[in-house]
Amino acid sequence: MNFDLLFSKAKEAGIEDIQVYMSSGTQFDIEVFNGELEKYTIADTATLEVKGIYDSKMGTVSTEVINDEIIDFVIDSIVASANAIDSEDEVFIYEGDKEYREVTGLLNPELEAVEAAVKIADTLALEQKVKAMDDRVKMVQTFYSQSRQKVIIKNSKGLNLEKESNNGLFGVYVIASDGKDQRTAIEYIQSNEYADFDFDLIAKLGAEKATALLGALPCESGEYEILLKNDASSSLLGPHLSMFSAEAVQKDVSLLKGKVGEQIGSELITIVDDPFMLKSTRSGSFDDEGVATKYKEIVKDGKLTGFLHNLKTAKKANTTSTGNGFGRIAPTNFYVKPGALPFDDAVKSMKKGLVITSLQGTHSGANPISGDFSLQASGFLVKDGVIERPVALITVAGNYLDLLHDVEAVCDDLKFGFSFIGSPSLKIKKLIVSGK
Amino acid sequence: MLGKKLITKVLEAALTTNADFAEVFIEDKFQTSASMLSSKVESVNNAKVFGVGVRIARGYHTVYGYTNSQEEADLVKLASDLAQSFQGESRGIKVVLGEMKIGTVHEIKRYPHEVTIEEKIDLLKRSDVAARAYDEEIKQVAVRYQDYVQKVWIANSKGTYVQDTRVRTRLAINSVAMNDVTKQSGFNGPGGHYGFEFYKDIINVEEAAKEASRVAKTNLHAAECPSGKMPVVIDNGFGGVIFHEACGHSLEATSVAKGASVFTGKKGTKIASTLVTAIDDGTIPNAWGSAEYDDEGNKQLRRVLIKDGILNSYMIDDLNAIRMKDESTHSGRRESYQYAPTSRMTNTYIDNGESTFDEIIAATKYGLYAKKMGGGSVEPASGDFNFAVGEGYMIRDGKIAEAVRGATLVGSGSEALLKVDMVGNNLLTAQGMCGSQSGSIPTDVGQPTIRVSEITVGGRGGTN
Repeated sequence: MNFDLLFSKAKEAGIEDIQVYMSSGTQFDIEVFNGELEKYTIADTATLEVKGIYDSKMGTVSTEVINDEIIDFVIDSIVASANAIDSEDEVFIYEGDKEYREVTGLLNPELEAVEAAVKIADTLALEQKVKAMDDRVKMVQTFYSQSRQKVIIKNSKGLNLEKESNNGLFGVYVIASDGKDQRTAIEYIQSNEYADFDFDLIAKLGAEKATALLGALPCESGEYEILLKNDASSSLLGPHLSMFSAEAVQKDVSLLKGKVGEQIGSELITIVDDPFMLKSTRSGSFDDEGVATKYKEIVKDGKLTGFLHNLKTAKKANTTSTGNGFGRIAPTNFYVKPGALPFDDAVKSMKKGLVITSLQGTHSGANPISGDFSLQASGFLVKDGVIERPVALITVAGNYLDLLHDVEAVCDDLKFGFSFIGSPSLKIKKLIVSGK
Repeated sequence: MLGKKLITKVLEAALTTNADFAEVFIEDKFQTSASMLSSKVESVNNAKVFGVGVRIARGYHTVYGYTNSQEEADLVKLASDLAQSFQGESRGIKVVLGEMKIGTVHEIKRYPHEVTIEEKIDLLKRSDVAARAYDEEIKQVAVRYQDYVQKVWIANSKGTYVQDTRVRTRLAINSVAMNDVTKQSGFNGPGGHYGFEFYKDIINVEEAAKEASRVAKTNLHAAECPSGKMPVVIDNGFGGVIFHEACGHSLEATSVAKGASVFTGKKGTKIASTLVTAIDDGTIPNAWGSAEYDDEGNKQLRRVLIKDGILNSYMIDDLNAIRMKDESTHSGRRESYQYAPTSRMTNTYIDNGESTFDEIIAATKYGLYAKKMGGGSVEPASGDFNFAVGEGYMIRDGKIAEAVRGATLVGSGSEALLKVDMVGNNLLTAQGMCGSQSGSIPTDVGQPTIRVSEITVGGRGGTN
């Protein structure tokens, strides 16, 4: 599409300012099952999102049909959308920041230069590696997913930004069985550097994770000292992200409202939003509104330092955007800063407790408005510093802010989930466990 | 739109190597969404979606590709690139597409794209007013409206050539009740395979909004749910999510075919209480999960999954049928052209039994009455499920007692089905979005009121 033509037609139609956000990219996925290539996907897509200010309201439209013939539809939709809005919030098309930090290495063409045949062979070999780890591994699915994304932002105020990144992910899905019980596990590595894919490590971790839980049974109900493993801790942080959003604060649905400067968790807790982390698709020098991103510690030694802002919430709160305007407000790479304690030492320090390795149903069993959660969990029972047996089909319940206050130790094993939310393992004073 | 000639060319390009099946899926979708918060219209958005998916298979091995391009050269190239993954000579399959069949079964009276934005906005306003008027403790209301017209064309090398139009609309109300102690929310989101007539002929907008506020208000004054194992009475409507999660997913060929389901190889055996008959029916007129054709171009069907406790049928798409050496149940669905289809549910429910609601409550000395369910998830391999209770009450001495909140039910699907010991006669369905391998698709869940003799309930109210 000829953006200049769009901009000039928009002006004629009475649209004061207009911005295009175009995201295009490629996708390549393979999946292996039982020694055969089971899934192979290639794709090439582009989406155009356009927003424009008409009569002081922001109209929006999106289209996957991108050509000059669609321009009239785009303009009509923006006007109709703006006309229907009666929110009095001030709206913005951003003229841009003076400086954008250069983030190199987000696009690594060498990842794509590795031939498809090599990636398929490695995915096939990975399956065999997992199977060779343990007799109880009954089924393995291995997969590789590679994407490349380019973002262009252009607007009538002269802003013209572009970024491009790519990423690959090798993963295993393992089902283990001892004849009576069946357990599953997922393990993966993400990077845009092919040499980072340590297949032996993925295989080892995947097989261990699946077999370790075999024979798991519920434990007695009651209060337990908890060691929340990194995977489980980051999956619990996910649904609570909205607490840190200024939008949630302004809509009065954040528990953290009015708590800037206050202690909201143990002083061992520091939570970071880092847009410059390498080998992450969430990284970049600007957000979707064209605002320069920045590194920030949103919680520092347990104290809340502020909220994540976009242009709209920043204006309302009389501050500046933190560069977190991604459609809604969203973090970039968001994680609990690791401590120094090795995981094994944390286990040794427990008298009677539970190591929680996995939490399920975080999208439904956690309520970010109240902070209350009650979730299906699995893990291991610990007695006097020694793992006694695997545990499953229990629920752990608590409140997320209470949990942050009750953190007694932070481990050194920071790990990121699929969506670049990360945490090290956390030792928690107590949670309520419902089992048998 | 892409014509028969071009589609045939793409299919032919896909079959230039040793593949034995090729399919083209074209999607043209127009959707409108609008949202209201704090009684103000916050956003209105039109979105035009267009894309083409090409799938090629040999046996049950498939490759898939998709693009937004409508250009012949791009589409033929995509098909040829994909074909390179199959080595060997072309099988010389001749592509002959017949007359295009057009889906017309689910009647639409007012197509949403012919309704003005103002009328849609009016729904938001009416919902907001009704939800707030319900009670003064309702402090915040968010309403979201969505509609779409999705036109799909599906053609394959077996000669299938169909066009189907899916028209869906949904209104979702989220009320927040607040006092000095806490905030609690309530949700209601009715929808259907309807045009705009849904809001006049099928539902009462004000009643739908009040329902969300009623749940929020109830939860605000509820005690924390106790934890432990106990009998649970799960009410009709969205309560059917228990079956959807705990059993439905494990009956999809996606997990059955690979032996990854607890129900693999169990056809003809007892997997549920004899009181349980369960059905997946994609043909219900204008239901949320209905369509005339599935996303492989086959006519939707009514499938009896479980009959009096005996496993009768899985849900199987065409490709998994080959792998399983079983018949396809025409269960291939996908969110969009960005996904290859796989076996999915449509409108899935436990059928009516004989008990009345009052009999079920009266027969329960102590337990949890889960009036509204929230979402949940299941691990198909183990059948372990979890889901949140949106509105719950304790049952004491055969009577519904105090409201409780924050409960989560956990268990194993195969066990829970066997432990169903009462089934009511008040079948009701409710709408949900189901996420799985082929994306997020609309599905109805449903059941009459049922009782499970024992489920682990997790809550913060201690054990008693």
